[in-house]
Amino acid sequence: MIEKKKGKMTKVMDYLKHEDPFSKGVAFCPGCGLELLIRFIPQVLGNDIVITGTPSCSAPVLLGQNSQSWHKLSYFGTLMTGAAANATGLARYYRKAGIENTVVCFNGDGTAADIGFGNLSGAAERNEPFIYICYDNEGYMNTGIQKSGTTPFGATTTTTPFGSASKGKNLRRMNLALKMAMHKIPYAATATLSDLEDLAKKLLKAKEAKKRGFAFIHVFAPCPTGWGVAPENTIEVCRRAVKTNYFPLWEAENGKIKMTRTVRKPKPVSTYTKIIKKFNHLNEADLQILQDDVDYEYCILGGLSVLEAECQLPVSAED
Amino acid sequence: MSEVRFHGRGGQGVVTTSKILANAFARTGQFGASFPMFGFERRGAPVTAFGRFSDKPVREKTQIYNPDILVVLDPSQRNSEAVFQGLRPGGMMLLNDSDKALNISNGNLKKLAIIDANKIAQEEIGLAIPNTVIVGAFARMSGLLDIEPCCDALQDYFSGKKLSANIVCAKRGFEEVELFDL
Amino acid sequence: MNTKVKEKSQIKVITGNAAAAIAAKLVRPDVVAAYPITPQTEIIEQISKFHANGEMDCELITVEGENSAMNAVMAASLAGGRVFTATSSWGLAFMYDAVLATAGARAPVVMVNVNRETPGIIAVSSGQQDMISTRDAGWIFLIAENCQEVMDLVLQAYRLAEDYDIQVPVMVHYDGFYLSYLSEVVDVPFQEDVDRFLSVLKDQPERIKLVPGGKLGCGSHGILKGYLELRHKHLSAMERAKAKIDQIDKEFQEIFNRSYSGQIEEYRMDDADVVLVGSGSMCGTIKTVIDEKRQAGVKVGLVKIRMYRPFPGEAMVGALKGKKAIGVVDRSLCFGFKGGPMYTELKAFETQLDGSKMISFIDGIANTDITKANVGQMIDSTCDLAAGKDVREVTWVSYPEAQEDGGL
Repeated sequence: MIEKKKGKMTKVMDYLKHEDPFSKGVAFCPGCGLELLIRFIPQVLGNDIVITGTPSCSAPVLLGQNSQSWHKLSYFGTLMTGAAANATGLARYYRKAGIENTVVCFNGDGTAADIGFGNLSGAAERNEPFIYICYDNEGYMNTGIQKSGTTPFGATTTTTPFGSASKGKNLRRMNLALKMAMHKIPYAATATLSDLEDLAKKLLKAKEAKKRGFAFIHVFAPCPTGWGVAPENTIEVCRRAVKTNYFPLWEAENGKIKMTRTVRKPKPVSTYTKIIKKFNHLNEADLQILQDDVDYEYCILGGLSVLEAECQLPVSAED
Repeated sequence: MSEVRFHGRGGQGVVTTSKILANAFARTGQFGASFPMFGFERRGAPVTAFGRFSDKPVREKTQIYNPDILVVLDPSQRNSEAVFQGLRPGGMMLLNDSDKALNISNGNLKKLAIIDANKIAQEEIGLAIPNTVIVGAFARMSGLLDIEPCCDALQDYFSGKKLSANIVCAKRGFEEVELFDL
Repeated sequence: MNTKVKEKSQIKVITGNAAAAIAAKLVRPDVVAAYPITPQTEIIEQISKFHANGEMDCELITVEGENSAMNAVMAASLAGGRVFTATSSWGLAFMYDAVLATAGARAPVVMVNVNRETPGIIAVSSGQQDMISTRDAGWIFLIAENCQEVMDLVLQAYRLAEDYDIQVPVMVHYDGFYLSYLSEVVDVPFQEDVDRFLSVLKDQPERIKLVPGGKLGCGSHGILKGYLELRHKHLSAMERAKAKIDQIDKEFQEIFNRSYSGQIEEYRMDDADVVLVGSGSMCGTIKTVIDEKRQAGVKVGLVKIRMYRPFPGEAMVGALKGKKAIGVVDRSLCFGFKGGPMYTELKAFETQLDGSKMISFIDGIANTDITKANVGQMIDSTCDLAAGKDVREVTWVSYPEAQEDGGL
């Protein structure tokens, strides 16, 4: 059995070159996608990263209490409004002082897409030398599951409940990663937890790219508690998100957009939504709206990957 | 202490005039303070600035309501009531105008100086920005300053060819201003 | 550029904003965040020019808003850097969350706030309401009277903020328009003297810094006792700052030959019967009026508040105790109270003043000029109070209509 699977096995373990700096038991919900991600990052990038995070699901573990901590990393708990500006201040001072550094600005979608988008965009425009990682669980989960800019059409949250006058969220989600790629930064990518080798490669590329400036990775990280997903299904949700093109995996190196995983025959989005309770109430017509949005985003992405293959980002003056 | 009020329009260098004079006073070991009347500054809009010049440190941080000297860079304001408001008895006025007619009447005005600063500036720097001509003319009219510190002060605001042209402007202002006792 | 070279300095005629910018250059900051707002913009323009000309070797972050300005310098400061930024009014409001967090983190940030009003967007006018609205953020507040003091207070602010025993952010305030755009004579210190003045900090123990691999967490106060411990230590550091600014001012005098006597400045107070208490640019005008009144035999003096947070209560009591009457001039409002904020706070010390009577003056808001006539009126009213006459508790000096307005 093991022999047979070996050929298919991911080489992800080869990328885990560093210690897991987190305590064995931490205060995340069962099946939390965030936990896998936050343990993974320092094992790939090294324990000498300086990580910043905001009030969020990550905070109880990253922040610690009083003199106690869940991990051994250098950590700065920042405000949601200015997370990217905090990381900017760190990275700029280290550069001035000649201190070798990898600053990882680690935030949820509420910070990245909503309240902290202005300073995220500003840091990208200034090509600040650090890595920004958005773990996207499609809402404000720590405060009890409220809608954010990346919450998809039809999803129920406590501020977009399903009712006679509401489909759940009645608006479409924004595409944060594409917006970031449009900032002409050295590196932008999407990733998820069902393809950890892809994620590891992207983390290392981001670390390399931040020598030239801003690196952004958007990680799709389901929230079993908030979405109504069985804890053991977290990775399956990620897998289906990729296979339906609900969350395509791509990267933009120096502006060149390229798919890192092409799905030959994408499954309908309903194969993804059916294992997630927050979509339970959607009828066929509603699902079609979601499907159309997924198709639209993928079409744009495909078009850009063709276009940008021909359009090289000009070398910046700082290079 | 001499309290001076400057009247002109945005683009004429009204505030700079008062700054250069404050600078020139400092170069003689005296003290100067200059500031603009607050408001949105736009090219063409009326501008008022204030200057206090003294041999002692200037401590007041208020606008000037009773000036000893008026400096009018904008000819259209030569007979404006607002310009003369609060002028102290025995007051002086320096006017930038091509019209040398002495049809200016104010009970408190005792000394008038007129110079066509726009014309001189046009000739020397190619632009009708009268401020540095006015600086030289002010030194002559007020008798409070020599022309040298005025020319030295220009170094803080201009360089190269512009500096030498503006020094000529200030010197011509000093020499060509016409003084009248009223 | 040098107007005149003296032994210790260069004389220049510059604005308050230029003085702040040059001071920021002289302290050799590692990181500066820049965002424009009237009437502060000239500061960051000048710094950008210094940076572009290679005169200032700092990381200049041209942020996309004030909130990021404060967040960036807070983080750079926690990482170990010397930092500077400047703002005013709405900019201060927009960074308010980060202002609180910077204090909470005890990041020794120095910021200039050029005072401006904040009731609506076109209030591009004088007033200290921005400062007052931030007074309990946990920062040290210093207030300058003239362009020279702007320069000198920025230099002193670094000694205070970064002192190992203090480690509290410092905001240097000065009046927008009245000082920001005022050009006057300023002694600009030489670089080597500023270096010497600041070198004391290098001899102190190194503060804790957030560095890669350092296994340090920051940004949180925890809860319960851990939280209380940090807050109490912060408050204690604020208390220590009072004596510290007095000491720093003495050392400043030894190097630069100028002194401001620390937390408060007393002007003609020795034999004064009546006193005005004020802050900022109004104090220059008040001093000239006091000199005139003194010639007419009125025994009047001034107490100028230079350090507003922590409130210099003990120093104020020492200066004011036993005076017949005190008039406190506020350039801002204290909603919920009739009198101005500084008046209201000084009232807390009333029982220690041995019977001094107090009244409040509100003036200088929204570009209403605190004229010599206005100051004269304030002194006359305070003399009336001393003479036992019936005087209104609160007077809006430039708005006599307030007397007809109910409630006040």
